[in-house]
Amino acid sequence: MNKSVNNIINALGGTSKLANLLGVNPSAVSNYRQKGFPARLHLKIIALCEEFSIPIDNEFIDKSKIPLKVIKSNSNEFLTHKSNSIMSSLSSDGYQLIDPPILVPADKVIDRLGETIVDRLYIFSQKDGIRLCLRPDLTIPTCLYYLDQGFNGEKKLYSYFGKVFQFYDEEENEPTEFTQTGIESIGDQDSLNADVDVFVKIYNTLKKEGINNFKTYFGDVSLFQEFINVLDIPDLWKKSLLEKFWNEEEFKVLLDEISKKNIKNDKFAERVYSLDIESALELVRGTINSSDGSFFAGRSLEEITDRLRKKGESYSLKPLSGSTKKLITEFLSIKDKPSLAINKLRKLCRSLDGSLLNKIDEAEKRFEIINSNGVDFKNAIFSAEKGRDVEYYSGFLYDFVWNNNNESIYIGGGGRYDDLIKLLGSESRIPAVGAALNLKKVERISQIESL
Amino acid sequence: MSKIKLGLPSKGRIQEDMNNFLTSAGIEITKDGGQRTYVGSFKNFEGFELRFLSANEIAKELNNGNLHLGLTGLDLIRELDGKESSNVISLLELGFSRADVIAAVPNSWIDVSNMKDLADVSRDFVRLHDRRLRVATKFQNLTRNFFIKNNVNSFRIVESIGSTEGSPSAGTAEMITDITSSGKTLEENNLKILDDGIILKSEACIFASINEKWNTIELENIQKFLRVLSAKSMAISHIELTFNCHKKIDNLELNIFREYEGFFLNNFFEAGDNVSLIVPNANSSLCSEYLISLGYGPIKINKPEFIYQNNNNAWNRLTSVIF
Repeated sequence: MNKSVNNIINALGGTSKLANLLGVNPSAVSNYRQKGFPARLHLKIIALCEEFSIPIDNEFIDKSKIPLKVIKSNSNEFLTHKSNSIMSSLSSDGYQLIDPPILVPADKVIDRLGETIVDRLYIFSQKDGIRLCLRPDLTIPTCLYYLDQGFNGEKKLYSYFGKVFQFYDEEENEPTEFTQTGIESIGDQDSLNADVDVFVKIYNTLKKEGINNFKTYFGDVSLFQEFINVLDIPDLWKKSLLEKFWNEEEFKVLLDEISKKNIKNDKFAERVYSLDIESALELVRGTINSSDGSFFAGRSLEEITDRLRKKGESYSLKPLSGSTKKLITEFLSIKDKPSLAINKLRKLCRSLDGSLLNKIDEAEKRFEIINSNGVDFKNAIFSAEKGRDVEYYSGFLYDFVWNNNNESIYIGGGGRYDDLIKLLGSESRIPAVGAALNLKKVERISQIESL
Repeated sequence: MSKIKLGLPSKGRIQEDMNNFLTSAGIEITKDGGQRTYVGSFKNFEGFELRFLSANEIAKELNNGNLHLGLTGLDLIRELDGKESSNVISLLELGFSRADVIAAVPNSWIDVSNMKDLADVSRDFVRLHDRRLRVATKFQNLTRNFFIKNNVNSFRIVESIGSTEGSPSAGTAEMITDITSSGKTLEENNLKILDDGIILKSEACIFASINEKWNTIELENIQKFLRVLSAKSMAISHIELTFNCHKKIDNLELNIFREYEGFFLNNFFEAGDNVSLIVPNANSSLCSEYLISLGYGPIKINKPEFIYQNNNNAWNRLTSVIF
């Protein structure tokens, strides 16, 4: 039972009276008694209380949970001392403060972040039909800014500060706009240096603001990629495993499938694989024509034939050995304090190709340098599979999560994204790494910590 | 007391189907001020204010809380937010305007027969073409949720307003999701439905908006209206078998209910009684077969005009959310 909400409901005349005033069912009002008022009704309730001169109990609405659009002006992160100090800390040491575009081409954002982001974007059309959206983060706009300046691989250090916009379901009580601040290092060929520099800067900024009780969760997706590359398994499976890495469920299914002896055979695919390429193309063309598929929408004859041949090929391959399957599973399950995790990786992979061991050494060196910059790993975890849930990062990555007994709050994070700028339109692949903080969360945590 | 705002479709196949349905249920519509206006009332039911809108608008207006009740397609309601809409509830399936929302690819994709293939192909597609596979559709939310549920993550939705089935041959998309009742237009456009590509089985239903104010209207009129509609839709989807039950067989009622979803109108009967059995249309021949095999017969089959039941389920559904 929520005492202050109950008081309000009773003061406004009880369940059925309030239901009438709000135009909802009485059963809904009974729900509010248990769960509090939904965000969309907050303004209405405040207005009703004012109308009937009922004093508003400060506790009845958790102000931090009201969407920003209905907050009048009392919670503007732009003005606080803390935000200013975070900003000036991030825009020092050559990180130029920039003002990237707020409106970005929606198609570029969707292509990069995937169709699932559409639910959370504010999208609209220009007169000429081009779809734009309000930026859902600041990394893509920063990259667009870089390209817009005419750069193509030059080293640039940027910092930024501004609103981002993501639609949240009202049940989640999350704001639809919040302020993000962060840094990006674009074009630095010395990846190790850039990785360390960005991480140390963002980490020290949090510490400087007096935020201490947070955990750092590290990952590095390039280690897994190298690991698969050096395994002694058919290329076809390497490709599939790397592709499905991003979807845990599908990855499991694939791993089981290629470890089994009798995969369900597709006779047609087997036949296409058994022929030389010319005859295979002929066979597929003939089959398509006879099945009335007279046009090749979007996919060429070669493409379809190729997929059938790969399917056919997969039947001829020896299944994955039990030990290899176990090795892959063990690799992904490694999760420990950074130095211990690195040792475990090294031990597990000691008999594999040296290029993987070099990569593990590199990761270790990165942690050592970070450590020598005054970062301790008492509250840090490295996990070999971290990063697979967002197909975004290409190497080193991390999240900062604050927690006390009651709640855990995601403060921010970052990592390396070497493929992004090319996908946004640059001619060549440009290395890039960045990190960002959600200022609203930072503010909230420092409030809790100062109590 | 104010009137019940009921939205009815003003055009298309669903309107024709509805007119046939209402006429056979003995419900007559009067349009205020002639045939072309967009408001009206029922001749034999009081208290309704009819609003003639497109099926699409009815879905939106229910969601916005501008109608109490509406007759429209389940597909349009589910599309509102891609899942079961929390503002709109279905009261009664009417059994007409049946159609499926499906995912279809070109016939030439002979290597693709199910959603798993599609997941594979969509991933290859990005690599080979530097862009995501495009899906033309009027059902963006349903499609997005269905694809993601089936692990197809690499795609782009292209909004299509009409003639979606032509998009692949016009080159504006690689595949489509669309609503179809016979699949004929898909065939004509060289498209095939994926084996597990049925996104939603749709039909015309009566929906209620829980956002609208319900406390100022005469609910008794709704209760009557829903009872007649339920009785008619039940009659349309069921058939009556009558025969002489010259011998009693143990568990006869139970077996027929379990196997054929049939129920007897006679509460109790004894050997020698004439009995009346109601079964869904689709099960009528199998059920007759079964009765003959037990030694019953002759069996007479009637098409009922109305089947009124003790329970008014549609009404119960409504009262469970508005009270």
